[in-house]
Amino acid sequence: MNTDLGSAPDVTPPDRVVVTGASGWLGQNLVRALAPSRAQVRCLVPDATAVPLLEIAGPSVDVVVGDVRDPDILDRLFSDTASATVFHAAAVIHPASKRTRELYDVNVGGTQLVLDRARRAGAGRFLHVSSNSPFGANPTADDRFTEDSPFAPYLAYGQSKLEAEELVRRATERGDVEGVILRPPWFYGPFQPARQTQWLATIRRGRFPLVGDGSQRRSMVFTGNLVHGLLRAEVAAAAPGRAYWIADAEPHRLDEVFATVRRALAAEGLAVSGGQPRLPRLAGLVAATADSALQSTGRYVQALHVLGELKDTIACDISRARSEIGYDPPTTLFDGIRASVRWCLERGQSL
Amino acid sequence: MTRSSRIIETEVLIIGSGAGGATTAAVLAEAGRRVTVVEEGPWIDPDAVEPFSIEEMVRKYRHHGSSAALGSPPIAYAEGRCVGGSTEVNSGLWNRLPDYLAEEWSRTYDIDEFSPTALDAYAERVESWQSVGKVPGAPPLSSALLERGAAKLGWRSVEFSRVFRYEAGVADATRGVKQTMARTQIPRAIAAGASLLPECRVVRLERKGPRIIGALCRQQTADGGPDEDVVVRADHVFVCGGAIQTPALLQRSGIRRRIGSGLKLHPTIKIAARFPHLLDHDSIPMHRVIEFAPNLTIGGSASRRGHIGLALADSGLDHEDALADWERMSVYYAAIRSEGSGRVRAVPGLRAPLVTYRLTDGDMSRLARGLVHLGELLLAAGATELHPSVEGGPVVRQTDELLQWWNRVDRTRSNLMTVHLTSSVRMGNDRSSTGADSFGAVHDFDNLRVNDASLLPDAPGVNPQAAVMTIALRNAEHFLASP
Repeated sequence: MNTDLGSAPDVTPPDRVVVTGASGWLGQNLVRALAPSRAQVRCLVPDATAVPLLEIAGPSVDVVVGDVRDPDILDRLFSDTASATVFHAAAVIHPASKRTRELYDVNVGGTQLVLDRARRAGAGRFLHVSSNSPFGANPTADDRFTEDSPFAPYLAYGQSKLEAEELVRRATERGDVEGVILRPPWFYGPFQPARQTQWLATIRRGRFPLVGDGSQRRSMVFTGNLVHGLLRAEVAAAAPGRAYWIADAEPHRLDEVFATVRRALAAEGLAVSGGQPRLPRLAGLVAATADSALQSTGRYVQALHVLGELKDTIACDISRARSEIGYDPPTTLFDGIRASVRWCLERGQSL
Repeated sequence: MTRSSRIIETEVLIIGSGAGGATTAAVLAEAGRRVTVVEEGPWIDPDAVEPFSIEEMVRKYRHHGSSAALGSPPIAYAEGRCVGGSTEVNSGLWNRLPDYLAEEWSRTYDIDEFSPTALDAYAERVESWQSVGKVPGAPPLSSALLERGAAKLGWRSVEFSRVFRYEAGVADATRGVKQTMARTQIPRAIAAGASLLPECRVVRLERKGPRIIGALCRQQTADGGPDEDVVVRADHVFVCGGAIQTPALLQRSGIRRRIGSGLKLHPTIKIAARFPHLLDHDSIPMHRVIEFAPNLTIGGSASRRGHIGLALADSGLDHEDALADWERMSVYYAAIRSEGSGRVRAVPGLRAPLVTYRLTDGDMSRLARGLVHLGELLLAAGATELHPSVEGGPVVRQTDELLQWWNRVDRTRSNLMTVHLTSSVRMGNDRSSTGADSFGAVHDFDNLRVNDASLLPDAPGVNPQAAVMTIALRNAEHFLASP
C-alpha cells in the first residue's frame, strides 16, 4: 500500500505551521526554511532571549514564549491553527537541571500536551521529531537499524523518547492527529549548541578521543538534510502513521567522521593538529556503566553520557524514507561540516 | 504451642474472604467441597455502617485505613480487613481486564488458558452473580462534572459499570446497594455448607515437604478474653489475603521463592476541588476520564466531609475556609500505571509486614502530568479552587497557574495513595518471574494455592475487582477439574 502511495502526488503544504522547540538547533534551521513560503510560522520558545533571532527569519514568524508543559501557553500557541502542520521539535537531550526527571517531563509530558492541543485545534499533520535512542546501539558494526528494528531504549533519554513515540502512535491510530515520526541520529549544522562547537574545536586541537578502534559506525544528519526530510514528510501521501529514519545517505566509521571534520576545518582555512588521542573501548564501557548507575538515581552527567555512547555503532538505513517520502539528502558530511564551521566563524565563535 | 489448641478438620481451607477468597469459597462449596473460610477481620453487618464514610474506614480497613508503602515518596494504601475484604469498602466500579493486557500477560509470563475469550466467559458468569450495571437515571453531579469537563476539552470519558443492585423501577443513583462479598459470595458459600470463622488470623502454615498440612490460627474470643489457638487441618489450602497479606503469610511459613517481590500498585494523586454550587456526597463518581488511559486515569473519590478534610490537609496550607464550604467540594484523582515496583517482607516479631515501593522518575513525571491534566479538567468543569495533595500546594484557581505543579510534584512534597495492590506472587509457567503456576498453585507445592490480586502479574490500570473475581472463578474450577 505504501509503495503505491510512495508514487502518489504530494498534498499541498498548509500556509500555516506550528513549530515547537523553534529556538533549538533544528528549530532555527526549520523556521528559516519555512518562513519565506508560509503565511504564518507560529513558534514556541522557552526563553524570550531567542525571540529576536527567530523574528529576523521573516515577517511570518510569530513567537510565543513559554513552557511546553504549560496548558495555558499551548492554548495561545494553538489559537487559530486549524489545518496547520505541527512540527514538534521541543525536547530535552541534556537536562539543564542535571536530573533525568526533566527528560520525562518535557519529552513525554510536553508531547502529550502538544498532541492534545493539536487535536483540539484541528491541526493538520503532526511531525514528531524522535531520535535513535529508542533503539539503543546496533549489535554489530555492519548492522543497520530499519523502521522494523526492535526497541531497546538507551537509558532515560531513550525511554522518554520511546514513550513520546508511543503517545504519537496511539493518537494517530485513534484519529486524533495525522502523526509522522521522524528519527534523526546525531546532528551537525548551523545554529549548533556550544557543546558541538566545543567538539569541533577539540578535534581541531587534536584532543578529542577516539574510543575503541574507530570502526564503529555512526549515522549522522546535517540539519539541512533533516529539514528536507521534515518537509517531505509534511506533504508525502504515504507518510501519515509511519516512522522514518532521517539521516545522511550512509553511516560512517567514527575514525572517518573525525578525519572528515579535520579536512573540513582545514578547507575553511584553519590549522588542524594531526593528533588523535585514543581511549580503549573499555573506557566507553566504564563511562556507560557509571552513567547508567547515576541515572538510576535520577542524576545526569553529560560528559559520561557522551563518552558512554561513543563506543557504539548507531547506524540506520534510510531506504524507507527514500522510497516512501522521496527523501534524498543533498548534503555530504564534508560539505555539512564546512557549513557548520563557516557558521561558527561568521558568528565570531572560536574553534 | 503452650496453650491447648482447638483443632478443626476441613477439606479446603480458604484464608481471606475478599473478592478472591469469597468467590473461591462459593464455587467450591457449591461443588460439594467441605470448605472453611478464615478471616482476620470481623463480620460487620453491611447495612450497619454508612457506605464511604469515615466510620467505615475506621471499622473495615486495616490499621483504620492508614497503612503505607515506604519509599521516596511513601505511598499510603488502604486494604479492607473484615468479612468481604476490600469489596466492603471499595467504589464498586467494575472493569473487565483489558484484552490487550490479558494477551500481554499470557505471553510475557507464559500463562495457560488466559485468552481474552476464555476470560470473558468467566467474567460474564461473575457479572450475572454481581448485578453489574450502569446507574439508573442521571448520574450524581460529582460524576457528571467529570463528563462535563472532559466534553469541554474533547477528552474521552466513560461511565463505568458498578456492582450495585437497584430495586425495580428505582431511578435514583444513590439508592443502590453495593453487592459486596458479604452480600453475595459469602452467603452463597454459607448456604452451600461452608463455615466461616471471622476474627481468626492465620499465624503460619504448617508444611511437611511439598504439602501444607494445616494452618495455625489465633481467633479472638467472643467474650473479649485471650485469643484462642486454632489449628485447621486441611487437604487443600487457598491463600486469598490480598497482595500484602498473602505474601506475608507465605513468607512467615518459610515460602519465599518469588514471593513478595514485584508488588504493583496504582499510585494516585488527588485534588480537593471547590465548585460554586452544592455537590452530592453519598456515592463515588462512576465516570472516568480515559483520554490518557491506560497509563493515566482520572476519576473521583469518596467525598464526605471527613474525606474532604483529609484531602485538604495534604497541602498543609490553611484550609479552614474551604472546609467550612465542604458541601461545595469533592475529591478527584489521577492514578497511573507505574514502571516501578515494590516488595512485601514479613518481619520476624512484627505483625505487619514491611512494604516498600520504588517509583521511577518516569512515574513521578506521570503523576505530575496527571495532576496538571486533572487540574485542567476540573477548571473546565467549573471548579473555582483546586487544592492538590502536594505539600505547599499551591492552590490553583486558573489554567495559567497549573504549570507550577510540574515542579512541585516531587519525591519530598507529594502525598500519594493507592487502593489497588497486586502482583506480589504472580501466575504463569515462567518460574523466573512467577511464584505460582497458570492457575495459582504455588510452585513446588502439592496442595497450596493463591487466589487473589497477588496473582495478577502486573497492575491492571483499572479497578481490579472484576479481574480478581474472574480469575478466582477460573482457578477454582480448574482446581475442581484437577485429579
